[in-house]
Amino acid sequence: MSARNWVVAFLALLALGPLVLPEFHITLLNYIGLYALVALGLVLLTGVGGLTSFGQAAFVGIGAYTSAYLTTTEGLPDFVAWVGVSPWLTLPAAILLTVAVAAVLGLLTLRLSGHYLPLGTIAWGMSLYFLFGNVSFLGGHTGVSGIPAISLFGVELKDGRYFYYLIWLMVLAALWATQNLLDSREGRAIRALKGGAVMAEAMGVDTARSKLVIFLIAAAFAAVSGWLYAHLQRFVNPTPFGLHIGIEYLFMAVIGGAGHVWGALLGAGLITILKQWLQDLLPRIFGASGNFEIIVFGLLMIFVLHRARDGLWPVIRRLAPLRGARRKVESAGPLGRRTKPAAGSVVLEVKDAVKKFGGLTANNHMSLSVRAGEILALIGPNGAGKSTLFNLITGVDPPTAGEVHFLGGRVDGLASREIARRGMSRTFQHVRLLATMSVLENVAIGAHLRGGGGVMAAALRLERAEEGRLLAEAARQIERVGLAEHVFDAAGSLALGQQRTVEIARALAADPSLLLLDEPAAGLRYLEKQALAELLGRLRDEGMGILLVEHDMDFVMGLADRVVVMEFGEKIAEGLPEEVQGNPDVIEAYLGGVD
Amino acid sequence: MDLQIALLLSQDGIVNGAIYALLALALVLVFAVTRVIFIPQGEFVAFGALTLAGFQAGKVPGTLWLLIGLGAAIAIVEVVIAMRSGALRRLTSALGWNLGYPAVAAAVVFLGEPVSWPLFVQVVLALAMVVPLGPMVYRLAYQPLLSASVLVLLIVSVAVHLTLVGLGLLFFGAEGSRTPAFSEASFEIGGVVVTGQTLWVVGASAVLIVVLYLFFERSLWGKALRATAINRTGARLMGISSTQAGKLSFVLAAAIGALSGILIAPITTVYYDTGFLIGLKGFVAAIVGGLASYPIAAAGAILVGLLESFSSFWASAFKEVIVFTLIIPVLVWRSLTTRHVEEEE
Amino acid sequence: MKLKPLAAGLIAAFATTQALADITVGVTVSATGPAASLGIPEKNTFALMPTTIGGQKVNYIVLDDASDTTTAVKNVRKMITEDKVDVIVGSTITPNSLAMIDVAAEAETPMISMAASARIVDPANPKVKWVFKTPQNDVQMSTAIVESMLSNKVQTVAFIGFADAYGEGWYNEFSKIAELRKLKIVANERYNRNDTSVTGQILKILAAKPDAVLVAGAGTPAALPQKALNEKGYKGAYYQTHGVANMDFMRVCGKDCEGTLLPAGPVLVAGQLPDSNPIKKVALDYTSKYEAAHGKGTTSTFGAHAWDAGMLLQSAVPVALKKAQPGTKEFRAALRDALEGLKNVTVSHGVVNMSPQDHLGFDQRARVMVKIENGGWKLQQ
Repeated sequence: MSARNWVVAFLALLALGPLVLPEFHITLLNYIGLYALVALGLVLLTGVGGLTSFGQAAFVGIGAYTSAYLTTTEGLPDFVAWVGVSPWLTLPAAILLTVAVAAVLGLLTLRLSGHYLPLGTIAWGMSLYFLFGNVSFLGGHTGVSGIPAISLFGVELKDGRYFYYLIWLMVLAALWATQNLLDSREGRAIRALKGGAVMAEAMGVDTARSKLVIFLIAAAFAAVSGWLYAHLQRFVNPTPFGLHIGIEYLFMAVIGGAGHVWGALLGAGLITILKQWLQDLLPRIFGASGNFEIIVFGLLMIFVLHRARDGLWPVIRRLAPLRGARRKVESAGPLGRRTKPAAGSVVLEVKDAVKKFGGLTANNHMSLSVRAGEILALIGPNGAGKSTLFNLITGVDPPTAGEVHFLGGRVDGLASREIARRGMSRTFQHVRLLATMSVLENVAIGAHLRGGGGVMAAALRLERAEEGRLLAEAARQIERVGLAEHVFDAAGSLALGQQRTVEIARALAADPSLLLLDEPAAGLRYLEKQALAELLGRLRDEGMGILLVEHDMDFVMGLADRVVVMEFGEKIAEGLPEEVQGNPDVIEAYLGGVD
Repeated sequence: MDLQIALLLSQDGIVNGAIYALLALALVLVFAVTRVIFIPQGEFVAFGALTLAGFQAGKVPGTLWLLIGLGAAIAIVEVVIAMRSGALRRLTSALGWNLGYPAVAAAVVFLGEPVSWPLFVQVVLALAMVVPLGPMVYRLAYQPLLSASVLVLLIVSVAVHLTLVGLGLLFFGAEGSRTPAFSEASFEIGGVVVTGQTLWVVGASAVLIVVLYLFFERSLWGKALRATAINRTGARLMGISSTQAGKLSFVLAAAIGALSGILIAPITTVYYDTGFLIGLKGFVAAIVGGLASYPIAAAGAILVGLLESFSSFWASAFKEVIVFTLIIPVLVWRSLTTRHVEEEE
Repeated sequence: MKLKPLAAGLIAAFATTQALADITVGVTVSATGPAASLGIPEKNTFALMPTTIGGQKVNYIVLDDASDTTTAVKNVRKMITEDKVDVIVGSTITPNSLAMIDVAAEAETPMISMAASARIVDPANPKVKWVFKTPQNDVQMSTAIVESMLSNKVQTVAFIGFADAYGEGWYNEFSKIAELRKLKIVANERYNRNDTSVTGQILKILAAKPDAVLVAGAGTPAALPQKALNEKGYKGAYYQTHGVANMDFMRVCGKDCEGTLLPAGPVLVAGQLPDSNPIKKVALDYTSKYEAAHGKGTTSTFGAHAWDAGMLLQSAVPVALKKAQPGTKEFRAALRDALEGLKNVTVSHGVVNMSPQDHLGFDQRARVMVKIENGGWKLQQ
């Protein structure tokens, strides 16, 4: 069965549910829907984006309390009172307020690195929870009752069967939008957050913005869930929004499969049903005197994680292999290209660059320049400071002193995505590909700055024309480097040499004026090296400037127009390949210590 | 607020902070060696205190059954593994420990009469009952996930926490317990009464911290743990097994947790679920220390203790709001002052 | 012989049929989570209840709601739609009970709450038509405390309570009555159930120099403030609430609680009631049953609230049975009417006289003042 058929079958079952299922199953499905919305946000935030949050329950709380307060409080001032007239008006209010709070918290805590972030989310999650309980106009610890039911076309959705459709409509909309978002230019940037942030920045992605975007989306989903909860339950008190529940949402996402949107649904469903099942079954086995549910539940979860640490969705995917996944890149028109500098003009100029790490001087007064239509090779023994110089030029690590000029403007001190925007693109010495993403998507990240489709447009699939052009461009670059048959393979499944080549394709997808290649030939076989040399030669002829770090002397000497030799962070020689080869200092550097 | 009140609040904050510091040290240790964020740390606090209280009430504490149960579970796992790999020779010691030790413990509890023994012996017995649970939990829950991501290990921790809290309720009931003080003495220092037990808490924490320091600096085992914490692969190449280091770190964590519980049981009531919030505050301190630095974690713990104590005076209803809100700027400051290296996946 | 109940349980798990005419009582209690110390004795009590009422078999379905409102509501929905219960009993705590009202009322199923707040049966809410409760209102208990304080010449009082619905409910009611009777509240402090220290709150109370301190907590956690105050040398009077009325509290608080006064249901001191008091017999019947099953000194007043819910049903069900068959909408309505019409029913906590305006039905006989003396409860006349 194809993916589409699976989805259609799922939707059909979902739509038929209320007509055939017993009442309580509908109740459970309603709760599953509410939980799935929050878990979906966590899939985006934690599973895809790598940002662990324990605080989602607090966002659910803000959504629920906003609607509860507005619809039950009498005598509100006129400028807000009109919102409380109908839950349909409080829905946007709940989302807006939650997103606003999330924006403040996100700006404060998303910059937290490593393990500071999860603790940050615990901190504000706890603060908000205790705040709910201590604010008297929110009903304190006791809670707010008398929240009205939602009406649709004059029908009060008191019956769980009607509410079911409302909940699942929202869940499916959120699923659809999330799925779309992840399958887009912005989505690729989001997927690069986890383990690929340095690379993404070098391709022009504003990773801080991407983090905030997914944080706000997750908060909005939580707010919708809270709004639905308030009007389903028609009573709100602080307990459903505490840290324990926040942890449980994370639980659902991870058990289901935090890296997959359907994992959220699976996790929410599984945990809700499992708990229910244990509640029914255990008293019959152990008798009614003890409370064994939580113990057995915990043990089962440990067992599941031992067997499927990526969650259960990947396991299910393997059981039901998909047929007919998309295997073709639609042809599309070309992307705009930047104006290239005139051949022979200076593209890059490094002047007296110094880089110190503590007491260690990695680069000492390095100067070099690259012209359009020229290949400059940077060679030197291991540890000479070549990669440091690369990072310094591309803005990954700003220089301690000295200047870097690119296309006539100073770029030292700029963020790497800013430098990328000006037309510099690079590869990394240690391959930085997203192993589970396809080669095509990896390369498309390189073209990030050549598109402009926003998050909303992506979620609603309004940027498909541009997306088609981006993918077509990526496919063209993959073909150009000779990996056409691997377009849809996972990047991690390729041989190391091929992965380096994918990095080149990604850099080319940015349509750069200057290309920085860090050991592109390492791990390539002889014929592959020849092909690479041919490609680089062609690029040079098209007028591109290329700065190349390479150890393979045959490769370098056959290809480079000029060579710069580094040792101990300093330049020891510069010139034509044959000049450098004869330089006694260079021979000493490479063969030194033999005497 | 006058000086005396400030002094009393500081004393209270430091006593609580000392416990948080101990837990923070254990959390830092466990994380550094195994990458596990050990949420169930708090359960060992409760288990330690309530096991001791059980002995004093003349009951058989449920932790004994847990010890026997976990031992049996490990024995089964080891037998299955040994059968599959054919390495039956190594089985003897594993079975001896996991079946023999609980059997001996059970014999002591049932044949002896712990209720009539002196406090010190009861404490030792309670520790002997609870500490082995640490490495046993490691063996069953974490060892099979040696290479899993931090997130997965964290979720396993949550599951272990849920299980242990559930067992705690089953073993000890919902009501709390207290144990008699180690010392009934009290002193007056600068107009502030200091009880002997608070000195015990602060003193024991300080001694433990020094002992841990010496352990890590001087002993071979300690050095091995540090090596594992710094570089897992390197340590393995040097013949230090990750699982041995992991087990050892869990022994220490369980011992620190149980001892913390035994120390505070005379000054507060301990419940089956007391551990979570104490552990959480230890966790806060540990993170402030970047899950790497012991002195900063200890300082963070004292800070959390003081924050709590003073905010419960100013606005007791908002205590947690104040504590957790004030943690955020500390986190931001710590985050900005530590260099973050992108995790390579 | 552990296997026997296990096997029996497994068989029961697969045998789901039951006679249609049985009466089904759906119970949700907070047997885990923060309110577990209240919920567990309640849960235990249902096992002691009669299995037939008026010749009809009664099935009790007892579920745990983990002190969580969402789970409580889910439990109620399950019991109503799956088990077709005739009546709901629960939950242990106020927020859960409040959240359940809408569901019970919409399904037209009577509900008997075991939580404290008067808000649960507030007659201003039309849905409360379906809701009854067995524990004394916090208003009633607050009044008893205020009266006792005034008669002991207390003029200023400090309040320290749980930072949850229990402490909040008590403060709201107690402060209203105190203000009315010109009793001055000089401090209002909160603490969490499993806080390890209340030094900050205690210092603030001491600074306010109150004549008496009221601790509003349930079970053993209520001992912490009193022990801390004693340690710091507080010499005034101590009051606790009926939430502490179990022997575990006494075990933990020990000699620090000597002389403490609290209001409680008469069941707590059943043995000391005069023989003329009809409650004595009923209350002793419960305590002896409970202690036979769980050991001496294990009774708590919370379990007795559950017992009383059972007793209300034992009085009301026979009336309702005359009108309709269990398992029907008509039976539920008849049961509701019968509950509302209960007059002079003696339960372990008092004597119940229901009316449309009063779905609790207790009078002054439902509370006594108790003093802690020599590690036991002493009835105050």
